[in-house]
Amino acid sequence: MEILDSYLRAVKRYLPRAQSSDIIKELSDDLRSQVEDQEAAAGRPLSDKEIAAFLRQHGDPMTVARRYRQDSPSLTIGWELIGPELFPMYLIMLSVNLVITVACVAIVFLIMHAPLTLNVFVFPILIQIVVLTLVFVGLNLVRRKYPQPWYYPPAEISPMIPIPRGYSVAGLILWGPVLLWWLALPHFPSLILGSAAAHLKLAPTWHTFYVPLLLVLLASIAQRLISLFRPDWTWLVPFVRLLINAAGALVLYVLVFKSHTLVVVADAFQCSGQYDKLADSVNGTLLWGVLGPWLWIWAGISVPIYAWYCLPHVRRLLRGKAAGTSSAVSTETGKRS
Amino acid sequence: MPPGNDNHELFENLRLELRRGSLILAVLVMLRAEHYGYTLRKALADHGMPIDEGTLYPLLRRLETQGLLVSEWREEDKRNKRFYRLSSEGKAILKPLLAEWQGINTSLNGIL
Repeated sequence: MEILDSYLRAVKRYLPRAQSSDIIKELSDDLRSQVEDQEAAAGRPLSDKEIAAFLRQHGDPMTVARRYRQDSPSLTIGWELIGPELFPMYLIMLSVNLVITVACVAIVFLIMHAPLTLNVFVFPILIQIVVLTLVFVGLNLVRRKYPQPWYYPPAEISPMIPIPRGYSVAGLILWGPVLLWWLALPHFPSLILGSAAAHLKLAPTWHTFYVPLLLVLLASIAQRLISLFRPDWTWLVPFVRLLINAAGALVLYVLVFKSHTLVVVADAFQCSGQYDKLADSVNGTLLWGVLGPWLWIWAGISVPIYAWYCLPHVRRLLRGKAAGTSSAVSTETGKRS
Repeated sequence: MPPGNDNHELFENLRLELRRGSLILAVLVMLRAEHYGYTLRKALADHGMPIDEGTLYPLLRRLETQGLLVSEWREEDKRNKRFYRLSSEGKAILKPLLAEWQGINTSLNGIL
């Protein structure tokens, strides 16, 4: 019952560490007994789909774990703002954010040779606390209102949940126009340069990056189209996203950190030199604003996340192969004997 | 009369509150004999007291922490199961608790 094991692993993640193994052993026995009862009633083993349906009815892993965390710390002022299952994650994220914030502020002030007082940290820290708390309060509200949201299942159980069609459609609605925009760019540079297109043109470097980024966009659209018609191909999303994010991160890294010129002054205005500054400013905006490090960081963060989502599929594949090999070996042994 | 939609949530809260105390008593009574979680749940359901696992296991843990139950892990049917039974302290408390419940029941019947 691999699905059940995966489900239990997902529940375990949200349990208090000290008791998690104990609770999981007990829950495992209970769920297995229920499945066995259903199998006895049906007179046959349950299929993976039937077990998945049973687990779905049982509850999403976070909700199940919550039942065991009633006494765990939470953020409650009159009413529950951040529940006990989200609270540990909130604390971790808050700590990481605050450390990064303090480090960034300190580095910026040291570089600027400005006096480093306690006051300079107060505002950024407050902003981090308020924003992160609001995000988690929002998440908590969503979890309470929709107690079984399997929209973003943990990696362990994602292989058994078909990709919602709405999710694929939303991706097509979002990325379709971006693809069209990208396709139109070489013919209509004003789509990215605006009025500056009258005096500037795309540099040859641009063409080096154009096709790889076009392929990344095409792969992304293709994955969503396929997922729309084959929502049961759950492996497709993490593998394609891993590839496109890794490729995107690589291309954007070279684009942002190794290239400095995406646009140059148009031939007709090159002699005058009056548009050189305009070209510099547009290059800066494109590299550090439109295509800049933000997208690169996003892709960089997505790579390990999708790699994590790929793991259960790889594990399944390896197990399947191992089972295939052992059954082949046993057949062979049986033939010989 | 069944509760209307407006009162459904209120009714549900009151029902759960009413059940909570009775469930503890039912669990303690059932655990005069040794059970593991699943069989305990089935036995309770067979007696008209269905309880989901998310309520039962935390309750068992709480009762064990309070010293009313003892548990041990043992293998049965090739699986490790946690068996629960009343502790001596649990047995001592169950008697007056049952007497209390019977008293409440009698009083309530009288009021009704």
